[in-house]
Formats: sequence, structure tokens, C-alpha cells
Amino acid sequence: MCEVETITKIAKTLGVPAGEVKLNSEKIITRTNNNNTVSGFATILNVLAQESKSEIARNSTATREIAADVYQWIEFAVLYVAPGSKDKHISHQLLRDFNKLFATKSYLVGYFITLADLAIFYAIYNLVKSLSPVEKENYLNLSRWFDHLQQRPEIRQGGQVLNFTTIYLHGWAKGTHV
Amino acid sequence: MATGTLYTYPENFRAYKALIAAQYSGAQVKVAENFVFGETNKSAEFLKKFPSGKVPAFETAEGKYLSESNAIAFYVANEQLRGGKCPLAQAEVLQWLSYADNEIVPASCSWVFPLLGIMPQQKNSTAKQDATAILSVLNNKLLNSTFLVGERITLADIVVFSSLLHLYQYVLEPKVRAEFGNVNRWFVTILNQPQVKAVVKNYTLCETALVFDPKKYAEFIGKTGGASDKKQQAKAKEEKKPKEEKKKEEKPKEELDAAEEALLAEPKSKDPFDAMPKGTFNFDDFKRSYSNEDESVSIPYFWQKFDPENYSIWFGEYKYNDELSKVFMSCNLITGMFQRLDKMRKQAFASVCLFGEDNNSTISGVWVWRGQDLAFTLSPDWQIDYDCYSWKKLDASSEETKKLVQQYFSWTGTDKDGRKFNQGKIFK
Ligand SMILES: N[C@@H](CCC(=O)N[C@@H](CS)C(=O)NCC(=O)O)C(=O)O
Repeated sequence: MCEVETITKIAKTLGVPAGEVKLNSEKIITRTNNNNTVSGFATILNVLAQESKSEIARNSTATREIAADVYQWIEFAVLYVAPGSKDKHISHQLLRDFNKLFATKSYLVGYFITLADLAIFYAIYNLVKSLSPVEKENYLNLSRWFDHLQQRPEIRQGGQVLNFTTIYLHGWAKGTHV
Repeated sequence: MATGTLYTYPENFRAYKALIAAQYSGAQVKVAENFVFGETNKSAEFLKKFPSGKVPAFETAEGKYLSESNAIAFYVANEQLRGGKCPLAQAEVLQWLSYADNEIVPASCSWVFPLLGIMPQQKNSTAKQDATAILSVLNNKLLNSTFLVGERITLADIVVFSSLLHLYQYVLEPKVRAEFGNVNRWFVTILNQPQVKAVVKNYTLCETALVFDPKKYAEFIGKTGGASDKKQQAKAKEEKKPKEEKKKEEKPKEELDAAEEALLAEPKSKDPFDAMPKGTFNFDDFKRSYSNEDESVSIPYFWQKFDPENYSIWFGEYKYNDELSKVFMSCNLITGMFQRLDKMRKQAFASVCLFGEDNNSTISGVWVWRGQDLAFTLSPDWQIDYDCYSWKKLDASSEETKKLVQQYFSWTGTDKDGRKFNQGKIFK
């Protein structure tokens, strides 16, 4: 998903106006709201979080450590994950890494949904969408996290739901037969 | 919004359900002060409100009464916690509440309680296998779901989590729980929600599983364990039986096995105190005075009526005070002993007190019973706990005894090292 679309969606999730979001002449993303323009993906998300009163925004800035952690994930999402997800080799490594990470964690930072989850979620959205059910089965932890996010109405925003139900049946059967 | 008072002892995992739910809903749930487990919940006043006499119990601000921890948690919760608007999700929440009560709690209690020393060890117990099967079910479920019902925390998570607390605290050491990665992930997520952290304080995941301590509880199990222990038990019984009783009995044939022997002994389990002279002291009258009147009346009454010819006063001190940790466990130890001594009640009275606080406490008590010898040897049923105490017969005429009786009957003062009185339990 492109940066402009991601920012617009996250603004909606956080319940704040997206304002005018576009790439400027140097291909840097900017957001203008109430005559105030900020540029850069992570900076814009930071401003959106400041404006928002939502639970996700609150959790993303709960402590300094959390905020710093979230910021790192956002940078990682935009600088590495989004471009890497389009590369055949890197993308599979990314899926493996995230799957491993979600074996022991419900969320990327702390114990709640934060902007880190949203940024990564949108960065790999098209990649996950492209997976066949059999491929998804290799990434059951990642699938659980992804499905959890997409099922939340404020994140789905009426959009299409990627199908994970068939792999759940596989997973269940596998789990019960060991 | 729900407002009211919750009756419970501290750190009761069942009470946590309601307390956590209240953190989410904003319900005003106050924990009753001065609650004494085994006393408050057995008082006439409490039983009128909550006939089962069990805790947790909840009294609403409007004077309505609820018992059963799941029901209380449901009442103080909010719509989201109850599963939201969808009947299927609500039913799923209910499903997990039933699963927790019917499957998890029994398995957890029978695995952990013997290790805590508050329940005898069961031979051939399937608790461990049962718990493992439960964890596998949860592990499969939580592979694909972040929470148990829907995409947010519900009562299902709160109740199942609370029911697993003892397992994760006492027995699921890292290498055991490694098998259940999805449950671990979910458990830690729930544990770290601020609404949960506000209630479940000072909780750490098990590092090394508790093991049954045979040294400390050798006698404790020996007398309650399976068939192989019965022989010893029967032997001990033989040795300890008072002479007169023995004569009256037919000597059991050598070939009889322990079980048969136990059966044979059964019908004779009439009151062993019957063999002793009644004297002039009447326990019922004294107990009535003690229950209904102030100690300034009942203690003098005791001394006025006490018959030192036929009754004796004893001081019993718990031998393993160093190993007492949580106050509530110690109290369970005392009430457990009282329950096992049930048949002794008619001809005995005791006040057993806990001094100190968590991880620094002692148990001791003053006992009175009919006869001049240690009463516990009169019946094999009474020999489960007494070895864990050192017993000293007190001289009824001494000043020292007067002081001890005064102190223990009125629940005042300190133990011999100066620990303050914490809780008392009365055997009557
Ligand atoms: N099913 C009940 C069980 C309550 C229960 O067993 N409470 C125990 C303490 S954890 C109790 O009050 N026991 C006192 C007694 O049995 O006399 C619940 O979940 O509330």
C-alpha cells in the first residue's frame, strides 16, 4: 500500500482528519491540515497520534520507551518493509521473521495495538493478500496477528477481509493430531 | 453502574475476576475490610446474605446479594466484556466461563494445592494430565486467535486467565510451559494489561516448579494417601490405641489386609471420648458463652466451670513456621486441620492464631479437651495434622496458663518473638 493511502487510512483509524496528504516535488510525503504542513512518514504519524484521543494513539505514546520503540518500527516499515515486500526473496524472509516474532508476542510493542502494528500491517498488506492459503499456513502466528487487526472495524474501515478461515481449519486439524 | 462490596480473602483468584472486570467497566467494587476467612463467611449475618458461606460474595449498594465468582464478574462487567451485542459471542464467553470452572479450576487445584500443602497429595491423581490436556486445547485455540472471543478482551479471557494463575505461578516452569507457546503469549498479554496489573500485583511466572516436600508432609500424606500407606496407618493405629479399647476388640487376624482391617474398624468409630469420665465441665455451655458474650464474661466463665480433674489444657505450636508464606495459605492449613478433626469438636475447644504477616508468621494455639492425654491418638482420623505441631500440656492452676488462655481466647497480644496477632480460628 502506498504511503499516501496508508497515512489516510491510519488517520481514519485514529479518528483525526487526514488533511491534504501528497508527495511533494522531492517525492517526500507531506500532510497539510489547518495550514500546518509536516513532512516525512514517521513525523506525520507522530502528529496524527498527538491529535488523536483514540486508544491506539494513547497506547502508542504511553511511555517514552514505548514511543521510541513505536517510532523505530515505523521507520523500519517505511524504509525497509514496504519496499522489501515487493521483492520475492526479501518478502519471504520478512514473513518468516514476523511469524517468528509473533510466536511470543501479541503485538509488536508492549501489549496493545500501537501505530507500529498499523504501519507494518499496511506495509505488508499487499504481500499477505497475494499469499495462497497453503502459503499462509506457513505463517500461522503472523496470520493470527494480521487477522486480529483486519477484524477490528476501525482498521478494516469497511474494506475487504482477507481470508484466513481455511488455514485455520488446517491449523486446528494439525494442532489436534500432534 | 454496578456498585457494591466484595467479600474475599486477599489474592483470591476467584475474586480477581470481578476486580479486573470492574477495572474495565469502571464499576465501584470495594473489598470488604476486616474480612476473616472462615469466620466472617461463617457468621450468621453472612450466611443470611450468602447461604453457601463461600467467597467471593458480592453485596450491591442496593442491598442485593450475589455469590459465585463468575456471576459477580458478569454483573460488574460491561457489555463489551460480556461479549458485545452478538448472542453468539455472548454464548462463546459463557462457554469459556463454564470451561474454566468445570475443567481448569478442578485440574489446577488438584495439581497445585497439595504442593502448597493445603490439600493432601492424591495418589494416582490425573491432575497433571488433565491440566496438560487443557493447555493443549487452549494452545490450539490461541494459535489462531489473539483473544478467546472476538478481537478484544472479554470475560472469557479474564476468567480463564484467573483460573490459570496458580498453574503459571507454581508449576508451569519454563521447560514445561515451552510446549504451550500460544497460551504463554496470550497469558502474558493479559497479565500486562493495565486493568489486570492494577489487580494482580507482585505476580511472577514460575521459575522452578514447586515440588511436594515429603519431609515436611510425611505424616500428612502417610495418613491420607493410597492403599500402600494404609498398612502403616493401620499399624500406627494398633500401637496407639488405648489399652481398654484394645481389649474390647477382637484382635484382627494377621492375614487381613489393610483395607479389610480399615473396614473392620469402621463400625467402632464411636466417640472415643465416651470412654472418659464426663466430669463437671460442659463444653456446650462454655461455647455458647464464648460465642455470644464478650471475652470479659466468657473467659472468667471458663475458669469458673473448668474441671481440671477430667479435662486438660494444651499449647500447640506449629513446627514448620519457617515455611509458612502466604497468610491465606496458613489459614487454610488451620481450617483444614479443624475440618479433619471434626469428630473431636464435641469434646474439645481451641483457639489457633496466626501471628505476623506474609513470609514471616507463626501458628500456635490453646486447646482444651476431655481427658488428660494427647487426644489426637484416640482416633486414626485425628492423626493427620498433629505431628506438625509440638504439644505441651499446661498446668491449669498456673498464672502463665491463665495468661495464655486470656491471650489466645481474646485474640490479642503477640507470639513469643513479638509478631503481632493477625488472624484467629476457633475450633468449637
Ligand atoms: N464456585 C465458587 C467457589 C467458591 C469457593 O469455593 N470459595 C471458597 C474459597 S476459594 C470458600 O469460600 N470456601 C469456604 C467454605 O467452603 O466453607 C466460585 O467460583 O465463587
